[in-house]
Amino acid sequence: MVQKTKQARTGAECSAEAMRQINPDVVAAYPITPQTPIMHAFSQYVADGKVDTEFITVESEHSAMSACVGSSAAGARTMTATSANGLALMWEVVYIAASTRLPIVMNVVNRALSGPINIHCDHSDSMGCRDTGWIQLYSENGEEAYENTLMAVRIAEDPNVLLPVMVCQDGFITSHSVETVELIDDESARGFVGEYHPKDALLDTDKPVTYGPLDLFDYYFEHKMQQIDAMEHAKDAIRKVFDEFGQLTGKKYDFFEGYLLEDAERVIVCANSSAGTTKVVVDELRAKGEKVGLLKPRVFRPFLAEQVVEKLKHAKSVAILDRAASFGGHGGPFFNEFRSAFHEEKEKPAIINYIYGLGGRELDLAQLRAIFEELKAVASGDVGHNVRYSGVRE
Amino acid sequence: MVNIRELAVEKERLAPGHRMCPGCGLAIASRMILKATKDPVVVANATGCLEVSTTIYPFTAWRIPWIHNAFENAGATISGVESAFRALKKKGKISSDKEIKFLAFGGDGGTYDIGLQSLSGALERGHDFVYVCVDNEGYMNCLSLDSLIQTEEGLKKITDLRVGEKVYAFDQKTGNLVLKRCTGIFDNGIKEVFEVSTDHHSIKATSNHPFLVVQRNGKQTRSSLAWKKLENLKQGDEVVTLKRIAKGKSYTFKKIIASKKGDYKVNKINPVTLPKRTSPELMEFFGLFVGDGWVREEKTEVGFALPEKKEGRNRLIQTFRKAFGQDITSFDKLYVYIYSVNLSRFITSLGFGKGAKSKTLPSWVFTLPEDEKEAFVRGLMLSDGYKLGESNRYVSASPELLRTLRLLLQTMNYRVGKIHIQTKKKGTFVVYRKLLEDSSYGYIAFSRKKKPDMKRYLSQIKQRDYLADNQWFSTEKITSIKLVKKEPTLDLRVEGEHNFIADGIVVHNTGIQRSSSTPFGAWTNTSQVGSAHQGKEQFRKDLTAIIAGHHIPYVAQASIHNYVDLLKKAEKAFNVKGPAFINVICPCIPGWKISSNQTVQVAKLAVDTCFWPLFEIENDVWTLNFDPGENKKPMTEWLKLQGRFKHLFRPENQDRLEKIQKHIDERWEWLKKQCGK
Ligand SMILES: Cc1ncc(C[n+]2csc(CCOP(=O)(O)OP(=O)(O)O)c2C)c(N)n1
Ligand code: SF4
Ligand SMILES: [Mg+2]
Repeated sequence: MVQKTKQARTGAECSAEAMRQINPDVVAAYPITPQTPIMHAFSQYVADGKVDTEFITVESEHSAMSACVGSSAAGARTMTATSANGLALMWEVVYIAASTRLPIVMNVVNRALSGPINIHCDHSDSMGCRDTGWIQLYSENGEEAYENTLMAVRIAEDPNVLLPVMVCQDGFITSHSVETVELIDDESARGFVGEYHPKDALLDTDKPVTYGPLDLFDYYFEHKMQQIDAMEHAKDAIRKVFDEFGQLTGKKYDFFEGYLLEDAERVIVCANSSAGTTKVVVDELRAKGEKVGLLKPRVFRPFLAEQVVEKLKHAKSVAILDRAASFGGHGGPFFNEFRSAFHEEKEKPAIINYIYGLGGRELDLAQLRAIFEELKAVASGDVGHNVRYSGVRE
Repeated sequence: MVNIRELAVEKERLAPGHRMCPGCGLAIASRMILKATKDPVVVANATGCLEVSTTIYPFTAWRIPWIHNAFENAGATISGVESAFRALKKKGKISSDKEIKFLAFGGDGGTYDIGLQSLSGALERGHDFVYVCVDNEGYMNCLSLDSLIQTEEGLKKITDLRVGEKVYAFDQKTGNLVLKRCTGIFDNGIKEVFEVSTDHHSIKATSNHPFLVVQRNGKQTRSSLAWKKLENLKQGDEVVTLKRIAKGKSYTFKKIIASKKGDYKVNKINPVTLPKRTSPELMEFFGLFVGDGWVREEKTEVGFALPEKKEGRNRLIQTFRKAFGQDITSFDKLYVYIYSVNLSRFITSLGFGKGAKSKTLPSWVFTLPEDEKEAFVRGLMLSDGYKLGESNRYVSASPELLRTLRLLLQTMNYRVGKIHIQTKKKGTFVVYRKLLEDSSYGYIAFSRKKKPDMKRYLSQIKQRDYLADNQWFSTEKITSIKLVKKEPTLDLRVEGEHNFIADGIVVHNTGIQRSSSTPFGAWTNTSQVGSAHQGKEQFRKDLTAIIAGHHIPYVAQASIHNYVDLLKKAEKAFNVKGPAFINVICPCIPGWKISSNQTVQVAKLAVDTCFWPLFEIENDVWTLNFDPGENKKPMTEWLKLQGRFKHLFRPENQDRLEKIQKHIDERWEWLKKQCGK
């Protein structure tokens, strides 16, 4: 029988706790704020013998992901974690991990990318990874980071998927804040995650395989098609894992989670901790009788366009919030994806975009109230600029 | 070669006012190296402590061109800068006789680990630059900020606090001031920070921070104290505040290295017997110093702007005689001077700050007994204070001094007002001095708390101050709660209760993780000590020898404790054509768990134990610069000074100590052979 306990934990501790329960074979990581507390806690688990993971303290993130690729190909259940510059330095190998179809799980503690250097939260790091071939899960709070990390292992290792998974949480805002979270007991967590049975492990010397051969115009495209198909299969796998885990925790998980959405006329779409802040404003405005709601993406890759349409089509106006800029593009990455989901639809809401929170700039209640207010005019047909900015000084 | 005396007077290229920890080895190394050439220098700095703590937009401590690109590419970055220089010279856009030295700084992480490729490439390509590895044996990358907590050892920055240290707290059962162990320091995330003010106190905290408030319950007797979160506080609520801290004791000064005649060229050593510990007279003297004094260490001068016939001048002469057993002999109409090498050093070492705008109160002042604190305040008042009826006013140009003084007064049973800042025009008189330029001045007003007749009026008094009969605490009404801003916050966990005494909340960002330079056995945050592991399990790599494998013109290993050797090496490195590399050992206060006055001692022992030999390689010729011979010290002498090795001294780790000694002995023999010995 599953036992649930409530504990006060930071988001980073939640990820570390999930890693402890998973007890991966290999972890290779390199420190970078705000990911570091995950590795500090995990290092203590290693020192105390609470996990028997091989913890490779590499000399850079480039080497961290490179070591993960080797270890995963060798057949080990492999995990890592990073942020911002660290993720950027891994880039090359991040693609290789996905293309080699290695089920690595990586916690990404979202932090703004450098130039100038900044340690606080935005999503420029993981948004830049959206085309790398990794599955991406987003976490509103520590509890979701914990759940997503456990589920990520199962999703990644599904034989029809075999893709790496990134579990994102907001740097500092989530990673360093203590909140009450509900965790499940070790035995249930381990039972859920199960044993990893790798196929085609490098270390299986009786069945030699070649990883990463030269792959030119005659096959490369087909291999990419297989990756594209794997992402398609991931949709089923994710649904299955969500349902199974939901039976343990008694909660419902979905690709896009609505909050007071059914009859909402004006809707905000945003990921990670901002969704929590938005709920406060939704409650407040609902109390005044305003029909407002929230849609929170939990899974951004693969992108379930049909569910977006279904969940948002009844709304009059929608604001898509992007915590990342796409320089020279028409709006941020979420905006482009969500808006184009509606292209063929006859009935659709007016959709606008807000870029917000870059470099850790806070998103406060007043900003969200203002956005809901501006959505009134948008709903009545006055769209104006459809790419807007919230919280930046003039 | 540049001599030390010349160096002392030269303008620093790295300005003071950076945020490196006091006693940081990096600060010493980088400043010394920058002094080894008179040519202009352009610096490329890898991400790390030196970079983080010397810049934060819009401030910089660098007085020379400086670039930070990223963590792993200082070598590549400086090679780009140097190539551009050559290109522009070739095109005649820069004059052909222009000289510039190119210097890259990287930490051990940025050099041994992540940036090694980048450095190796730049060395192999043969750019004309000097690369200095400021090796503190780990990823320290600290960012220290400024919230103050009342601890057993005085006022401390929240970021300097360590788990296990004792902080003052309120014991709810007995109503006493108690010392409690700090059991955790954690990041609280980016939060809205509010300022809660009473007439005499203000504290910044997040909305979920608990405060102790009086719960009035009709009849006085049924009132009690209860915790309330900030978000539930309102104006008029009565919060518990600190009246005074526990009885202090006289402070024993740390020894300073006294100069003797002949140490270096000074006209007058003018010996003064330095007191061993504080006394009321000495504290009054310091009060006068903080108000009106200055130190010019290079001139061995301690001066006071105390005009003739001022009461302050009389007291200065008297207190100096009592505290130092000597008379002051040098004055004019406006100023008093004392010339003494050791006195000026002594005063500098106390941490009062040097100039009028940077004066402050060091934390030890908070731990003094009441009479010494009173004497100190008396001295201050004689310099820049005046009375206005019952109330005292103290004026200063240093906001930091006002802030710390306000906290001191609050612990002394004074009622203290807010800090007022005002700008005065040139020519106005402030206290009794004419301003030479437009200045910004602040003042605070304070007065003795009156002693009410407790016996007779207890219940009425308790209506106003619920803790009126408590020795340490009182209650005050909240006058305002304001949202200040959103910022990253830190919090403490204190054993037993969530309560400690602080004035604010701040940002932090600490590291201390292992690198491939971290020694075997050392604790770091990623080489923890537990039942299965005992700190780092690999020996450090010999980076200097690896660099030597590039066969560049100059490679050296140096230490911050030996200035002469370090300078000589830096000079040679700047002078060779082509790449040069110096690896400098730079002790780190929090990372090595040493105190801030042990930096030089620990660096020296690293050399005396042959853990960190001093040597250089000029055009592939290896030379040993220092051989302790018979006096080679055992490794344990170095290890035992540092908290990061503490666990190695447990009986079960004896074999680890032996393993370390054996390793060091082998490396030393290898090096001697390499150097033809
Ligand atoms: C690619 C990348 N990975 C990680 C970091 C995070 N980081 C910044 S400084 C630092 C450690 C610095 O250590 P070191 O070079 O020894 O310098 P120190 O701070 O000890 O002087 C780390 C891990 C980063 N900025 N960029
Ligand atoms: S002492 Fe250590 S942590 Fe402090 S500034 Fe120096 S290197 Fe950084
Ligand atoms: Mg270092």
